[in-house]
Amino acid sequence: MARYFLTRLGSLALSLIVASLVIFAVIEVIPGDPASFMLGLNAAPETVAALRAELGLDGSLTARYLSWVGGLFVGDFGTSYTYRVPVAELVGARLWVSLPLTLYALLLSTLIAIPVGVIAAARRGGPADYGIMGATQLGIAIPNFWFAMLLVLVFAISLRWFSAGGFPGWEAGLWPGIKALTLPAVALALPQASILARVMRSSLIETLGQDYIRTARAKGLSQRQAIVRHALRNALIPVMTIIGLQFSFLLAGAIIIENVFFLPGLGRLIFQGITQRDLVVVESVVMLLVFAVILVTFLVDIAYAAIDPRLRRGGGAR
Amino acid sequence: MLSIDRLSLRIGAAEILRDVSFDIGAGEVFGLVGESGSGKSMTALAAMGLLPRGAAPSGRVAFEGRQILAAKERAMCALRGREIGMIFQEPMTALNPLKTIGDQVAETLLVHGAAGRFEARRVAEARLDRVGLGAVGAERFPHELSGGQRQRVCIALAVALRPKLLIADEPTTALDVTTQAQILDLLKGLVDEDGMALWLITHDLAVVADVADHVAVMRDGALVEAGRTEAVFRAPKAAYTRKLMADSTHVPDRKAGAQSAPILEVSGAVRDYPAGRAGLFGPRKSFRAVDGVSLTVRAGESVGLVGESGCGKSTLTRAILGLDALQGGEIRLDGERIAAPAVPPPLRAKMQVVFQDPFGSFNPRHKVARLVAEPFHLTPVPDIGARVAEALEAVGLAPGDAEKYIHEFSGGQRQRIAIARAIVIRPKLVVLDEAVSALDVSIRARILDLLAELQARFGLSYLFISHDLSVVRAVTDRVLVMQAGRIVEEGATEQVFGAPAHAYTRALIAAAPRIPEGWLAA
Amino acid sequence: MRRLPGQLWLGAAVTAVFVAAALLSFLWVPYAIDGIAIANRLKPPTMAHWLGTDQFGRDILSMLMVGARVSIAVAVVAVGIGILLGVPLGLWAAAHRGAWLDELIMRGNDLIFAFPSLVIAILITAVFGPSAFNAILAIGIFNIPVFARVTRGGALSLWTLDYVLAARVAGKGRLRISVEHILPNVANLLIVQGTIQFSLGILAEAGLSYVGLGAQPPTPSWGRMLAESQTLISLAPHIAIFPGLAIVLTVLGLNLMGDGLRDHLDPRLRRLR
Repeated sequence: MARYFLTRLGSLALSLIVASLVIFAVIEVIPGDPASFMLGLNAAPETVAALRAELGLDGSLTARYLSWVGGLFVGDFGTSYTYRVPVAELVGARLWVSLPLTLYALLLSTLIAIPVGVIAAARRGGPADYGIMGATQLGIAIPNFWFAMLLVLVFAISLRWFSAGGFPGWEAGLWPGIKALTLPAVALALPQASILARVMRSSLIETLGQDYIRTARAKGLSQRQAIVRHALRNALIPVMTIIGLQFSFLLAGAIIIENVFFLPGLGRLIFQGITQRDLVVVESVVMLLVFAVILVTFLVDIAYAAIDPRLRRGGGAR
Repeated sequence: MLSIDRLSLRIGAAEILRDVSFDIGAGEVFGLVGESGSGKSMTALAAMGLLPRGAAPSGRVAFEGRQILAAKERAMCALRGREIGMIFQEPMTALNPLKTIGDQVAETLLVHGAAGRFEARRVAEARLDRVGLGAVGAERFPHELSGGQRQRVCIALAVALRPKLLIADEPTTALDVTTQAQILDLLKGLVDEDGMALWLITHDLAVVADVADHVAVMRDGALVEAGRTEAVFRAPKAAYTRKLMADSTHVPDRKAGAQSAPILEVSGAVRDYPAGRAGLFGPRKSFRAVDGVSLTVRAGESVGLVGESGCGKSTLTRAILGLDALQGGEIRLDGERIAAPAVPPPLRAKMQVVFQDPFGSFNPRHKVARLVAEPFHLTPVPDIGARVAEALEAVGLAPGDAEKYIHEFSGGQRQRIAIARAIVIRPKLVVLDEAVSALDVSIRARILDLLAELQARFGLSYLFISHDLSVVRAVTDRVLVMQAGRIVEEGATEQVFGAPAHAYTRALIAAAPRIPEGWLAA
Repeated sequence: MRRLPGQLWLGAAVTAVFVAAALLSFLWVPYAIDGIAIANRLKPPTMAHWLGTDQFGRDILSMLMVGARVSIAVAVVAVGIGILLGVPLGLWAAAHRGAWLDELIMRGNDLIFAFPSLVIAILITAVFGPSAFNAILAIGIFNIPVFARVTRGGALSLWTLDYVLAARVAGKGRLRISVEHILPNVANLLIVQGTIQFSLGILAEAGLSYVGLGAQPPTPSWGRMLAESQTLISLAPHIAIFPGLAIVLTVLGLNLMGDGLRDHLDPRLRRLR
């Protein structure tokens, strides 16, 4: 177990290093001189020189990379050129909208998809299965931001159950915050839940065809007992992979959907960063997003070991 | 106790079983024999009430007077595991990989409410001990066990509640011959001690002759013959039974290979495999799969190489075929050294191979003409078409078959095509890597005849690699016995089988089930 | 030839309608889309304007037809990038299973998976400015590991088969075996995956142009039509509904086609027949 954990941890560290190199290269190397890029063509040479000094662009590439990464470690993301405040501050406030939204959606998606997928697999070929397969086929095809607009149209504008957008801030209390994130989370979660339910269904159907299910049935377990006691845990292994991947889709989706609901999250920050050519903001927020995705991949790997003894004991599986 | 009366079964339009009737009495061992696809397994699943979806059975199946086919699912759940247990062919996948073996045995007691958690654990340990796994420990997971050990776990969980009937569907087919003998002994022991009845389903007549009190022979979904085992073997009534018995002990008509120049010489071959690191930063360990093997095959000779799975025979085969390099020793083919992977094409062309699996041996997207012609990549000739037609004709197929795709052929025909591919460039040596192991006995007998005929016609040498002692005995001049990477015994086939010198050879021969000499009608 | 499944026909028909509409738009659209007619703005569907008009009085059906070009072009090229780069990488990795090359390719794939196409698009746009080309590049890069994985997975199981060994005994090298024996037998998997990635590409393109990282004005695109409709949704819901429906139907059609193809081509099903 310790060996597996250490290998995964090493792979996590390696991924982070390479990812940071890629981001650094795209943002700071490809544009040539980031300072003149950020200021545009008409900037006075003195202003450019001042910004160069501020960004520390006079040092070597290696030194700049190391100081950027070193800063990330201690929570120093640099200073935004447009806002004139530390990026860490900007990100900190907005992260508390985007991250809860993503996790809320992930939770909804998982809670909906797993039972739905299990029901479809257990009643394979029956009306419930056909209904679920049809509904999820539609769910997969719906773009989440359009679904969000429809939800606003129905639940905010017509029924007035929710407000059409905005975020009261967590200071206003837990419930108003959750309420404001509910429509966005539902809009994000349903298309992903459709995918996940289908994966759950096919994984369970495949597991139910395994020899050990036949063994279990020959012991006297009913179909339901065989599903609960043997098939489910085995079927969840591929489902976990998809849940891990969905985190990154949901995070990206959250960034898009914040636009529909006027939520003050990372999405708004990064799109403003792009229009204002504030590379400092873009670089750090992208690194943060990628970090989150890589971290989740790592956590999924650890969860595999918790569920599967073949990984736990020194990689005996061949 | 179990009474099957005119059981018929269809799945969709396919008729799987037709009017199958037989009885199994308490405490008796009943053998059901048949070739693949004859419907043996479906009969057993019908008796368990575990038929696949869409199966439509008719007739009667009664267990101690209770009707099985009409029974409610709930009643069947109470019956399965408690009164009828079942084990299956493939022990490697028959256990849940995520649960300990102790839990899986204890579960049989728990689902039937036969014991509390603590008591179930205790009984599970006792049953594991009974099947010979006391030293292994109930806390182990299936992936930590060998195939034979896993089959023991399956037996333990099937007999945990001491059922009155145990159905064993090809329980030893996937196992080595020595493991097979141990599992059969275990099953016989359980029958004797617990008074349990055993319904043994197998394709292997020798296993039935060895174990069963009564036997029934099945073909294409119908019983062709049934009776007491000895009576059926001594005086088979049905023509099919006679043919099955003749084919299973078939010895092709062949002349012994002449003493002539060696075609293949392996001397001191060593092959290591990396086996992962000792610790996170420890040195890489390695596993010696082939350990100083030497062997010679002479022109026109058939040499057998027998051994159980994991003995290194596949590794040795790959080295001989020039696919993997050796770490020590050398291999010479027709006097020239084989240095994998860069073997010159003209040298490679002197040797071809036939594999076990008639289904995985061909690219499904190519026509037979192209499949058979593949070895001409080594030595291009102008008249490939004529040579392919000639090779197809030599293996008993029509030249017109060249324009068909592989899925249009049966398993036996595919193996003929594999042989055609091997002989089309007229090699000197053909390596037969378990080439008849996946075939039913009747098809196997015909392929063995074909191989003998081709050997005489083209002067081929065969290296015949197999785990099946009876086949090797029937078709080889000399035999080598391999164990744990080494050759432990070699000699003329009749001498090795008649008077084995090494303890391992003796164990192998003793373990191989055989139809008693006197039972076989001449 | 076996009968093709119904969903394959349905999916192919729906997809064909959208492709045909996109092609037709090069020759003819009901109304020109560069004219602004404020008097005619936000009209609900009528006989003259089947799907109504937008906030500038442009015909929505015409806009959708022209927008289909961008969506389809972006998705097709992105799938092409994925196949052209991903498939050879996957074949190469499988041919050298366990070697450092395989390891490197697979680690590289994992790394790209950590960059959702939106993040790639953000990076590219931050440096080069927004364009439809960015969308192609972002979605295309994300497609590479998808195809590499599918190819490698399919190829690995083929490499264990005896016919590959037979080819090696016939003296054929890894490259030749990959092209002759592996690629034709993973082609089915690739066709199915290609359809799926095509539909995902349509969705991703819509998302990117919705947030302004895709095609730029005046090129109409489905995603931007939705972005522009957002503030007007309570006044004229139809301008938000029709572009959304266009996306849903196209994606649905492609997915049905993909599922149908999978059922039709699945080698496991074929072996049973």
